[in-house]
Amino acid sequence: MTTNSNTYTLDPVTFEVLKNSFTTIVDQMSEQVIRSCHSFVIWSRDFSCALCDAEGNTIMQGSGDCAAHVGTLHFTAKAVLDYFGEDIHEGDVFVVNDPYLGGTHFNDTRVVRPIFQDGEMIALAQANGHWADVGGALPGSFNIEAHDHMAEGLRIPPVRVWSEGDFQRDVAELIAHNTRTPGDVIGDMLAQAEATRVAEREIGRLTVKYGRETVVTAFAEVQDYVERLARARLAALPDGTWETVDYLDVDPVLGEGLIPIEVKMTIAGDTLHYDLSGSHPQAVHTFHNATFGGTFSGVVVGTKFQMPELPLNSGFYRPITVDYGREGSVVNATWPTPVAGFCVGPFDKLLNAIGELWAQIVPERAMACCFALEYLLVGGRDGRREGSPYFMWYDWMMGGWGARNGHDGHNGSAPPFGVQLGTQPLEGQERLAPVLTTGHELITDSGGPGTSRGGLGCIKGAKIGAAERAVMSYCCDRERSITWGLWGGLPSAPIGVRLRRAGGDQEEFLGALFSNVALEPGDVLERPSNGGGGLGDPLDRDPEQVLEDVVDEYVSVERARRDYGVVVIEIDRDLCACEIDVEATERERRRIRAERAGWLDTDPEAVAARYRAGELDEMDLVRQYGVILDWGSGEVLAKSTGQFREMLRRRALAYWADAGT
Amino acid sequence: MVPSGKRALDTEMSDRPYRRMAVDVGGTFTDVCVLDERTGALTVSKVPSTPDTISGVLAGAREAGVSLAETSLFIHGTTLATNALITRKHPRAGMVTTRGFRDILEIRRGTRDDLWDSYKEIAPPHIRRRDRLVVGERIDAAGEVVEPLDEDDARAVAAVFRKRGIENIAVCFVNSFVNPANEQRMKEILAEELPDARVSTSSDVLPEIFEHERFSTTVANAILAPVVGPYCEQLSRELREGGYGGEMLLMHSGGGVMTPRAATRFAARLAASGIAAGAIATRELARLCGYENAIGLDVGGTSTDVSLVYEGETHTAEEWYVEYGYPIRFPSIEVLTVGAGGGSLAWIDDAGSLRNGPQSAGSQPGPACYQRGGTEPTNSDANLLLGRLGSELIGGAMALDEGLAEEAIRRHIAEPLEMPVLEAARAIVEVANANMADAVRLVTIRRGYDPRDFALVVFGGAGPLHGGAVARDLGIPTVLVPLNPGVTSALGCLMVDVRHDVSQMHFAQVAEAELGEIEAAFAALEEEARELLTLDGVPAADMHFQRQIDMRYVGQWRSLSVAVEPGLGSLAEAEQRFHEKHGQEHNYRRDDAPVEIYRLGITAVGVTPRPEIARHQAAPSRPEPIGTRAVVWDDAGAVETPLYWRPELAAGAVIEGPAVIHQLDSTVLVEPGMEAEVDPWLNLRLTI
Repeated sequence: MTTNSNTYTLDPVTFEVLKNSFTTIVDQMSEQVIRSCHSFVIWSRDFSCALCDAEGNTIMQGSGDCAAHVGTLHFTAKAVLDYFGEDIHEGDVFVVNDPYLGGTHFNDTRVVRPIFQDGEMIALAQANGHWADVGGALPGSFNIEAHDHMAEGLRIPPVRVWSEGDFQRDVAELIAHNTRTPGDVIGDMLAQAEATRVAEREIGRLTVKYGRETVVTAFAEVQDYVERLARARLAALPDGTWETVDYLDVDPVLGEGLIPIEVKMTIAGDTLHYDLSGSHPQAVHTFHNATFGGTFSGVVVGTKFQMPELPLNSGFYRPITVDYGREGSVVNATWPTPVAGFCVGPFDKLLNAIGELWAQIVPERAMACCFALEYLLVGGRDGRREGSPYFMWYDWMMGGWGARNGHDGHNGSAPPFGVQLGTQPLEGQERLAPVLTTGHELITDSGGPGTSRGGLGCIKGAKIGAAERAVMSYCCDRERSITWGLWGGLPSAPIGVRLRRAGGDQEEFLGALFSNVALEPGDVLERPSNGGGGLGDPLDRDPEQVLEDVVDEYVSVERARRDYGVVVIEIDRDLCACEIDVEATERERRRIRAERAGWLDTDPEAVAARYRAGELDEMDLVRQYGVILDWGSGEVLAKSTGQFREMLRRRALAYWADAGT
Repeated sequence: MVPSGKRALDTEMSDRPYRRMAVDVGGTFTDVCVLDERTGALTVSKVPSTPDTISGVLAGAREAGVSLAETSLFIHGTTLATNALITRKHPRAGMVTTRGFRDILEIRRGTRDDLWDSYKEIAPPHIRRRDRLVVGERIDAAGEVVEPLDEDDARAVAAVFRKRGIENIAVCFVNSFVNPANEQRMKEILAEELPDARVSTSSDVLPEIFEHERFSTTVANAILAPVVGPYCEQLSRELREGGYGGEMLLMHSGGGVMTPRAATRFAARLAASGIAAGAIATRELARLCGYENAIGLDVGGTSTDVSLVYEGETHTAEEWYVEYGYPIRFPSIEVLTVGAGGGSLAWIDDAGSLRNGPQSAGSQPGPACYQRGGTEPTNSDANLLLGRLGSELIGGAMALDEGLAEEAIRRHIAEPLEMPVLEAARAIVEVANANMADAVRLVTIRRGYDPRDFALVVFGGAGPLHGGAVARDLGIPTVLVPLNPGVTSALGCLMVDVRHDVSQMHFAQVAEAELGEIEAAFAALEEEARELLTLDGVPAADMHFQRQIDMRYVGQWRSLSVAVEPGLGSLAEAEQRFHEKHGQEHNYRRDDAPVEIYRLGITAVGVTPRPEIARHQAAPSRPEPIGTRAVVWDDAGAVETPLYWRPELAAGAVIEGPAVIHQLDSTVLVEPGMEAEVDPWLNLRLTI
């Protein structure tokens, strides 16, 4: 290990000043994007900015960026360099959104500007934003039924939109007019291009002050610096190999059964290797696939959560190697496989699985499974307004984070996908779309039980107003592969959209992944987000903490007893007066300890029958019996149940003190 | 200050109270600044803050040696509200909200400010879930009552609050900004059922779109009202008993002052009281000296506050917070705070890179040289070792130990980096200066402002140590060091007007907007603002109203404020100004894109007569140094540098760098190549 300062050629002051300047530059770019963007998705922080060197390697990435873009911007920069070679000039600006070249999905459109000094290109500035729509068959460009990318959206290989400073209006409009919101696309393109110009100006200032050579040297040394920090962290950890598996819910063509994403991690000296070759060998027949770009992002993000204080650039990637397995797999998808749902699919599973592996090595940062990004889209015509203009109600939810070692998980927060991807104000949504939000609250009992409780998920309801020709699509996962607990902690609860038709009283369960469901005025839909998994045996949770949770209705009296074995007596709710029945609690905890291992061996059909009879609810099934049903019909999903039970044995049962007794 | 002319003080008024006093209470010190309205003379003093704030305020007033009976105007800046929010020492409060929306406050916008550290906690809401109760009611986006208030629910909620003894209540209903009827009815019912309760309704506090921002602001208001109200009452009483005949004015986040009555109603406006004063001082000092554009650099022990004045106006932020996730949406003077101050620690990270801050040695143990047990090097230690800081502070009240400073720098910086200790000290200061310069870049360059068009006003105890170098780095030609850098914020408190901001949502595309509707809305807002000023006792002749239209391109999510005059003939000019402003702030404009109106606002100002700081006859002079000291400035090594004592410097005095100017509350560096001149108001002006 070489961690002394002698390896730098720059003096410590110049190095530190330039490093901080690079951070300031990418943050200035972000400020420019957020203040002037048009897409509300970008405004909600689904964007990222980077400064790359002349080879395309990332020098610095923004401090508030969307996590799911991390680890992909250098691929894009390199793609531009590969494609245009020598034909790159001062004043050029390129646009590219190609996931097969290491991007994420088609919506994430990158604007790249080469930065020149004395006629030589020394860097590339890149602003990447999620455009709300990039064409394809469905509004928002999320089409779960797409068989290929043509049905998802417009693929933009590296394209020159400014040529030596001249805006190529024809090219820009060709792109814009293949989307549903051409005005916003032009606006966003301008906002992103201006952000890259901020970087150009600032790099220019630095080269005047410090000289080109010094600045270019700093580009390299800032990467070396981060590499050194990352390698030092790795070298201090024990060598070894750890493996686990997380699951996607389903490949509908294959029938029920969870789809494995396997991660085998090896630390050797100061290197880190992730072997993903044991993952499902084909792409799934939904859009929950990732190209190597989206997969690498999941790997980097999962690892970065373990080293939060390190700056992020290509130096961080250098000690990491990845075996993506065979081409065409769910984590190594190739053209023209649909990949719009990469973030809900492999990206989410990888970052959680990697978190589980690291929890064994760095237990003080352990975290159980977090809820996954989800989004619901209702599109149609707004009958409230003259001419019934097009509307999009594009909504994503906050949810629960996994419980941590000694700390409960975060309630109702933005997903690990991007912690700045906040919820949209319903008062804004109601002005823009004929959809009335009927409620937006935390869900009592949704946090996975544990010594530390998982964060609570949220529920949101919506009533369709004066909409015409409205259709709904939904994209999530973890209806069956439910957010899991760690070290004896338990899962949250299943998710999925429920629809009650206008005038009807029957509720229809639509699940976690569907598209093109027609809606009529008066229809009411409701959906929960997952809570986080619990950490540690819930029977070891301090009863006083359970009591406080009951007073705040984070946990119900009923589930305090079932999940935690804590018997709470309500004396006067108006006064928040509740107390623990100590003796009954001891009895209940003894009973659960004695019985719970056996619950996982109960015949699933018998459990399902009790569920249909109303004796057990979804939480009982998932947390106690490990039984996964088709939550609409109540039918047992045998294969998924087997996989889920195996997971519970591994993550929960094995850690209970009473296990094996 | 610019004499207002309106209330020129003449001899007839000489037997009336003539001293204007500002007391600015900070975490460590209470600063007092008194201006003699007859002579323009400024006197300052500093006392330690006390746990019982009011006795600290009164002690500060006593320390200033001014009787309250002589005081014509008492202005108060306080961190009371900020501290109550952070420490959560406030009476239990309750919230009533629309059924189905109990957790808007807790879900927040859902965002977190640390991208990678999942162990960093989210601040819990100020009202716990158990005390957030719901009622049946609903208003839609158009203001139609979808569901009237369920009055049985409302009375049941009141009964629960009564049982719990909760008397501070926030009423927060969805879409109440369009139609406040249900919230108002809820308020009436609470008044009937709980006559002693203090109720903040979101439609009164902040009638603006976006539920979380409105609710969060209303909740801050509800929990601060019982803190601010009694405090104001008690302090007003004690001031009165001490002989003060006027009404106390409190500094608010928007950079104006308000009366205790307004402060009790809009308590959350006090939450950034302390920070705003420094920005105001920057604006007024710059104006006094003839600079329209100025950057304020306030360097304290642990952090640096940067503020911006452009064309004579401070920059206002719409949204800010004391704790991340809980915005307070009253306009607030925009101040960027970075973790770089005199006590910031210099350290070497795992990869061998020299870092500076954001951790700080604080006041305990403080820098190594303070001899209070600190062993890690700080910027103050480096400045001491370089000779830039003298070996005593506060006029000898505190001795600094150079040996301890050297030891800290040697062990923690010089040896690991294998460099001489003096070089290490210079490296520390250079990194600190660069961090401060980066902070200035963030508030200027990223907004499209060129720092070279600005003057830099430096204050805070450590500001004048770093200001010259920061200015040189940024190409700023002039640095202004006020007479008393350590109490400049208190000075800012002396220079403010009564100010209220009122606004109303107004959605319309410019091309389709009805001018009549806009005029009517402005007239109604102006009436509301006039009433507020009247309650504050501002005479009609001193009232000023500035109208603004917030505009944005259709499809955009952030708006820009454009000032307009009453009696608009058309919106064309405002639209044109919007394009220009967009071009300046965001580097591009879209003249062909449709523009929409988003909000109408009025800033109502009750002009307070500006005090006039004494102006001295400037006579060019070359003052005598009081001694010399070896100071390291650059690669040339230590240079015997003349030292000056600032209280001895008369207007017109010119000092060529290198020089060090000592004063009670600060040390001013005049680096080689710079020149300092004492101006007629006794500010030091450094030419870079």
